[in-house]
Order: sequence, then C-alpha cells, then structure tokens
Amino acid sequence: MIAATRPTPLADALPGMVLSEPLHDAKGNVLLGAGMVLTETMLASLARHGIALLPILGAAAAPALPDPADVQARLAQLFRRQPDDDAGNGADVRAGAALRRYVEAYRLNGSTGSTGTQPGAAS
Amino acid sequence: MNRLTSEQLIAGLQDLPSLPAVVMELLSSIDQENADISVLARKVSYDQALTAKTLRLANSPAFGAQVKVATIQQAITFLGFQATRNLITAAALSGAFASGRCRGFDDRAFWRHSIATAACARALARRIRFNQDFAFTAGLLHDIGRLVLVTAQPDAYAEVLAWRARHGCEWREAEAAVLGLDHVDAGVALAAHWQFSDTMRQAIAWHHAPHTPGAGSLAAIVHVADAIVHALDLSGESDDVVPRLSGAAWDAMGLSEEAYLHLFRETETQFSEMAAILLA
Repeated sequence: MIAATRPTPLADALPGMVLSEPLHDAKGNVLLGAGMVLTETMLASLARHGIALLPILGAAAAPALPDPADVQARLAQLFRRQPDDDAGNGADVRAGAALRRYVEAYRLNGSTGSTGTQPGAAS
Repeated sequence: MNRLTSEQLIAGLQDLPSLPAVVMELLSSIDQENADISVLARKVSYDQALTAKTLRLANSPAFGAQVKVATIQQAITFLGFQATRNLITAAALSGAFASGRCRGFDDRAFWRHSIATAACARALARRIRFNQDFAFTAGLLHDIGRLVLVTAQPDAYAEVLAWRARHGCEWREAEAAVLGLDHVDAGVALAAHWQFSDTMRQAIAWHHAPHTPGAGSLAAIVHVADAIVHALDLSGESDDVVPRLSGAAWDAMGLSEEAYLHLFRETETQFSEMAAILLA
C-alpha cells in the first residue's frame, strides 16, 4: 500500500500523528524526517518555525471526521419523534436511544468503532 | 379535508401502471421454491430494458457475481433463483411509476429510501439467519402504499405533504389526518390487488406495528431496517424523521453495537451501488 499524505493544518495536528514526508523550514533545512511521530514538544517547536501545514501520513480517502455538534444536531432532528422516558414504553425508549447512540458512534468514528486509533478522539 | 374512501382507493388502484406480467408473477409466487426457472428466464428476456437493468445489478459489487453474467439464465446460475428474482423486481418497480404527478412529492427520495431499506433488511436478515431474499423484497416494497396514494390522489397528497411540513411528523400521521387512511392501508390494498404473496402482504401491513401478535419476523426486520435507513439519512430529505422504533422488534434482532456499525457500513455501500444503477 502506498503511504498517502493528508495535508493537515498545524492547529489540527495531534501528538501521535506521523509525518509522511520530511518537513523543511523556509530555508530548506530539514526540521523533521519522514516517519517521525509527532510529540507536543515538536508541535510547539513547529509553531515557532512558522510551519502552517504538515504532511501527515494517513489514508488519502479518509474524510475529515464530522463536527460532533453537527452530528448531534442532525440526530436530534431525525429522532424528534422518538418517545422520551415519560411518554412511552421503556423498551421503545431504550431501542430508540440505542439506535441513536450507534448512529452517532458510526458518524463520529467510522464503521470499525475503534476509537483507540483516533488520537485525541476520546470524549 | 379530502377523506379518501376505500372505494376511491380501490378505484385508484386500477389506474396504477401495470407491471410487466413476469414481475407480477414473481411477486405473487415469492414463497414458491420450485418455480420453473427456464420459463422465468425466457419471459424476462423478452423485456430488454428490464433485462439490461437486472444484469447491471447482477454484475454490481453489491451482488458480486464471481463471473460477469450476460443473460438472465446465467444470473440465476451464479446468484441463485431467489436473488435474481429480487433484482428483476427491483429493476421493474423502480421504473414503473410516473414521476412529477404530485407537486412536492420527491419520488427519487422515495426510491432512495426503498432501495436503502431493501439493502439494510437483506443485511439484517443475513445476521439473524432469516431468508435474505424475502427481506430484500419486503424492504423494497414496504412503503409502496405511498406511491399508490400519490398516484391515485396527487392533489390530496400534495396537502399531505404540506400538513407534514407544518407538523414535522411521520408520513402516516399526516396521511391519516388529511386522507383518513395511510400508506399502510394503501399498501395492503395494493398487495391484494397485485396478489403479492402472504409473506409480503404481512410485512407491508405490520412494518409500523411489528409488536402485533402474528406480525412475523419479516415485519420486525423491515421495521428495524426502515428506522436505520431514516437514521442514516439515506433518503436525502432534509425533514426526514425516524419513525417510532419498537423495542420488541429491536430486541428481536439481538445484535451488538459492533454488528450494527458493520451493518450501517454495508447498508451505505450497497445502497450507493444499487441507487447508481436503479436511479440512473
């Protein structure tokens, strides 16, 4: 598999992400080599060097994860007719809540549900 | 108020498009395992548009024939009789109803929802070891009553759309309020008129009330698939709403969160492949 680069703004870069290409400063000096695993210290240092965009290793097709607030707002709208605790049979309430929770997890983490591989995704 | 009587509803059924005879035959005989395959293949092949669409579906990754099939007979050989029968039904139905008769009715959204429910019901059925082919067809047909109402009473249905937009409710609530009956009633009437098998008739009749004694597993599968597809936003309608989910039907599936997450992915993938062919 070919390593793909996901251009990532410095502000969105997280410790644990991996560089897919060497990172140069404005003069062409190599700051960090390809394959480096980013740390908090490195990210702070890159900010001082005026780096704006990082070549981060990742699946090319991986879409940006959606904003949790947008996902929750849309789900609240879609699930507006589900009964709440006062208005219905407990089994129906639980089922509606479970479906909503699963769809939310699916939207925010993808189908594998492997939250462990998403640095900083813990809520 | 446009109260729709059952006489008017039955009269409206006469105006519905006629499906190719072979599709009518398929829908009425879905419970029969021993239908004559060579006769079916020959009848379908008389309809070139239907054959072409069916073969494109059969060759799509969603159905994954290992070999590229070029005839209905080959599709039956590689995919099986029941699966091929599903594809023929989907290909025939999705093109059968005239669009644009009722202002504001989004028939592409209708078919997106129906196709997605078919895909989801099939995937659910496989996980709970129920007949996948019944589930697919029942998912495809579960809301067919809406097309009956739209076709029979386009002006009255435009009022249903307006009523629903004002109240943000489920379809059947708006239909009952404006017309006095809903798409389940219309679907049941159509199922009788088109002589659907009893299995399909029951699934259509109980897909919003799967906890009713005697409703059967198929109604529960379609009920859960319908809710999932609404929750996944696959119809593309901005005012979509998840119908009230039955705890009894949900519990009957007995699936884990992980199983549902995979099911969601499978549904979305198969839906986009099928929609690309059926709604081209």
